[in-house]
Amino acid sequence: MAGKSGREISAEVKGGIRSKILSWEGALILILVAVNILGVVISPNYNVSNVLREMPRYLAEIFMMFGMGYILVLGDIDISVGALVCLAGTVTVLSSNAGLPFGLAVVVCLLVGLLGGMLNGFIATRFTELPTMIVTLGTQIIFRGIAEVLFETWGNGGGTASMTDTKGLMLLAQKIGPFPIAFFCVIIVGIIMITVLAKTTFGRKLYAIGSNKTAAYYAGIKVEKMRFICYSLLGMLAGLCALFLLTATFGSNTTTGQGFEMEVIAMCVFGGIATTGGKGNLIGGFIAAFIIVCLRIALGQRNINTQVILVIIGLMLIISVLVPSISNSIAARKKRSAA
Amino acid sequence: MKKKVLSVLLATTVVASLLAGCGSSAAAPAADAAPAADAAPAADAAAPAASSGGATYALVTKSAGNPFMERMASGFQEAVEASGGTVVIQNPEAATPDAQISVVQSLISQGVSSIAVDGNDANALTAVLTEASNAGIKVLSLDSDVAPDTRAVYCNQAGVQQIGETLMEAVYDLTGGEGDWAILSATSQATNQNAWIDAMKKLMESDSKYAKLNLVEVAYGDDEPQKSTDQTQALLQNYPDLKVICAPTTVGIAAAAKVLQDQKSSVKLTGLGLPSEMAEYIGDDDAHSCPYMYLWNPIDLGRLAGYTSIALVDGSITGAAGDKFTAGELGDYTIEEIDGSTQIILGPPFKFDPSNIDEWKSVY
Amino acid sequence: MKKRSIGQFLSESREASLVIVLAVLLIVVGIINPSFLSFTNIRQIFLNNTLTFLMALGMLCVMLTAGIDISITSTLAFAGMSIGLLQKYNVIHNTFLLFVIGAGIGIICGFLNGIIIAKGHVAPIICTMGFMYIWRGMAYVISNNNWASGMDVAGFSDFGKDGAVGPYIILIVAYAAFFILMKWTRFGRRIYAVGSNTEAARVSGINVDRTLTGVYTIMGLLAGLAGVLSVSIYASAQPNMQYGKEMDVIAACVIGGVAMSGGRGSVAGTFLGALIIGIISKALPMVNIPNFWQNLIKGVIILAVVILNVVTQRTMDRQNLLRREM
Repeated sequence: MAGKSGREISAEVKGGIRSKILSWEGALILILVAVNILGVVISPNYNVSNVLREMPRYLAEIFMMFGMGYILVLGDIDISVGALVCLAGTVTVLSSNAGLPFGLAVVVCLLVGLLGGMLNGFIATRFTELPTMIVTLGTQIIFRGIAEVLFETWGNGGGTASMTDTKGLMLLAQKIGPFPIAFFCVIIVGIIMITVLAKTTFGRKLYAIGSNKTAAYYAGIKVEKMRFICYSLLGMLAGLCALFLLTATFGSNTTTGQGFEMEVIAMCVFGGIATTGGKGNLIGGFIAAFIIVCLRIALGQRNINTQVILVIIGLMLIISVLVPSISNSIAARKKRSAA
Repeated sequence: MKKKVLSVLLATTVVASLLAGCGSSAAAPAADAAPAADAAPAADAAAPAASSGGATYALVTKSAGNPFMERMASGFQEAVEASGGTVVIQNPEAATPDAQISVVQSLISQGVSSIAVDGNDANALTAVLTEASNAGIKVLSLDSDVAPDTRAVYCNQAGVQQIGETLMEAVYDLTGGEGDWAILSATSQATNQNAWIDAMKKLMESDSKYAKLNLVEVAYGDDEPQKSTDQTQALLQNYPDLKVICAPTTVGIAAAAKVLQDQKSSVKLTGLGLPSEMAEYIGDDDAHSCPYMYLWNPIDLGRLAGYTSIALVDGSITGAAGDKFTAGELGDYTIEEIDGSTQIILGPPFKFDPSNIDEWKSVY
Repeated sequence: MKKRSIGQFLSESREASLVIVLAVLLIVVGIINPSFLSFTNIRQIFLNNTLTFLMALGMLCVMLTAGIDISITSTLAFAGMSIGLLQKYNVIHNTFLLFVIGAGIGIICGFLNGIIIAKGHVAPIICTMGFMYIWRGMAYVISNNNWASGMDVAGFSDFGKDGAVGPYIILIVAYAAFFILMKWTRFGRRIYAVGSNTEAARVSGINVDRTLTGVYTIMGLLAGLAGVLSVSIYASAQPNMQYGKEMDVIAACVIGGVAMSGGRGSVAGTFLGALIIGIISKALPMVNIPNFWQNLIKGVIILAVVILNVVTQRTMDRQNLLRREM
């Protein structure tokens, strides 16, 4: 369902695409179940309350997965989000320490994210010849660079700052029953983002742009405006991610958010969203995110070498894109021999 | 279509079977046999059954892939296993507090008895360590401290003041009492390095002995060989009168030593480094860049943390100042109150010079 | 009239505009700190950035086929760590043999990338992202939390020591070989053909799959070599070596005018791009910019140069259009 195999699929009849996408999500759910069974089998401590307790740090990343899904559907990519999380978190911590009330600090956090996203969007739409990977590579270094300068000039120096007034963060870190607040927020944001992408004209337009930018342009879609909106949205979600990450760390430092961009992209791709644009949906990404989180928690409880976990995730990523492609080509060969 | 679901399931099985092999089955082509074989038992050792009766003592290091941490972990393991406990050693995937949070969360789920943590950030672990304490887990820190009210006690390798004085004295000795010198540190947020550098700066201000020394720059090599190399070369070029570089970080000192030695520079180097990394560069003559350097024994530091964990768990100490306990072959230790926090100090830093480097380079 | 001709010269060749960027950089840095232009320093720019220079060549080929490879520094770490450990455990100490082994590991890693991308029709960024995790993880696993240190690689590190000629020779040979490869060989032309228009290339009888596999294998070979060189130059092998530096290599190519959409780019441009990246990282500590400003400035310069590239390209296109209309 990912990669160039998309071209072969689109050559088939419409019903085929639909049922296949459906089946990919079905497979993902099966994998999620399998991972959970695996967790219970290999670790005596793998149960609902422990998994939910370990989850908040990972949940923060899932917010960005939704935004990244939009960007990937457009056929773009954004690798600056990890650094943007760092910048948003840093500004929030420092402004809160300077006496800003928590409510306003939350607004500042989201606003910094939004502004960062808008900067990405501005450069990406103004210089359309530039690959978005390079634009966001540049802003990635810049965002983290700004955070470093802020630590030194505004904070106490030393590349790290922690929030002195943590009351507000404690409130956000609370649990309703066994469920952390972040969990509900992810579900709510998820439902909105999934519905917008799947059921509205806005979402359809994104697919149109991702499939064929020129055709979308001539069909009257304001391509650059849409791209700008998506980048801004992802930026704001990065702000949200920073906020919920703060509830776990109560502070920020120069390494905050390192490598998040790749983990988020991995979640999307594992969920069936193609980096070439126009394919996949967020439900898949949503399930895939939980697969990766559950797998990490399960293996973590078994004290498997953390680097081996990364190897396993890498293998899963490749297998998950290879399998549909191979089974497609087998099907195609069968069809040819039957005909 | 069913076939596809089946194939996906198959893929899952492959992944699952990988877990059983613990990665060693995936040992890539051309991975030479010797280290791969070494890796396998280590992976097994790091995954003991948590349910084997007695207490389980956990150690969370700064990150994977660091020999200093590896030696520290081996000392910890030795001390705990000698007294019949179970050891869990967790190396986070990256040297970030985020990664440590996940690891500590996982240890809380496993219901370990104690967690000894080498903090990547002084304050970022506050929330998760408080959660661990609330779950009845004894928390202590070693090597790099965390926020004092989140842990019972801090196993300090050597007092900050002591390290500052030792390094300052070395700089004084190597410069001959006057001239330019520079510091090459790790990252700008490294808690330990910043504390030591501050201590050195204060000493320079307060003690008239160091009045003729001129600290020209504190450069940061981010513990990356390449950046440390760039920074060292820049120091040499920017300050032609530079006499000494002091690098209180194991990666930085090795990179700087190589630069100075390759360039046959007259600038001398001292600081904190691992003997095994630095054996090439330690010597009195002009062909070697580092006359002497310091470090503490990471194995002993791990051992001390191991014994402290055991004492905390069996209740013989609570982490209050004045508590005394015996740390196996290391001897007796007393918990001291330093700068308002409770610490156990391992001992003064050890000096490595040409006379003893050969004997230590194979130890750690 | 004169003004126009300079403008024309500027806009007619992308390399020329890069040369000017380079000259401006050198003059600014040279004024602030004259010792930057010393021979030793310029030599060190090449030595410290050998890895970027070398891998940029492979990235050029990969990007010409509209692909990308973000697994290169992981391959580098795996190859480097392997040969470091071979010395640590006293298995092999022969420099030449170690280079062959490192290159071999690189070729295998690259070939796996290539075959999955070409035959499995997997998007390059995804496939290489998977291997980015895998090889980096494997480097950690085989290292077993140890480094190969200066003592272990004693004889071997002489090859890449400051003052030795080895790394420079490798660079010169590699650039000469790639210049010939891209300009005068059938394989080179095929790479451009596949990148410009895959379908057209396929129809005209080019074996696209084989070309793609070849390109990623070359990338792997260079990453493997870079791993060996890295161990030699820094006299240590660590599992986290060069972490995140793949982005420097990609930036070098893009600054050098290589199009990520494929089909456009040159060896000379790549060289200039890598040189600009090298000069930035070497110059920042030397111009008395406070440490914590360095990343910010680096990012701004990179972004400014690539945007300048776009502006140049636009003027170029406009002028071409004008000429056609006349």
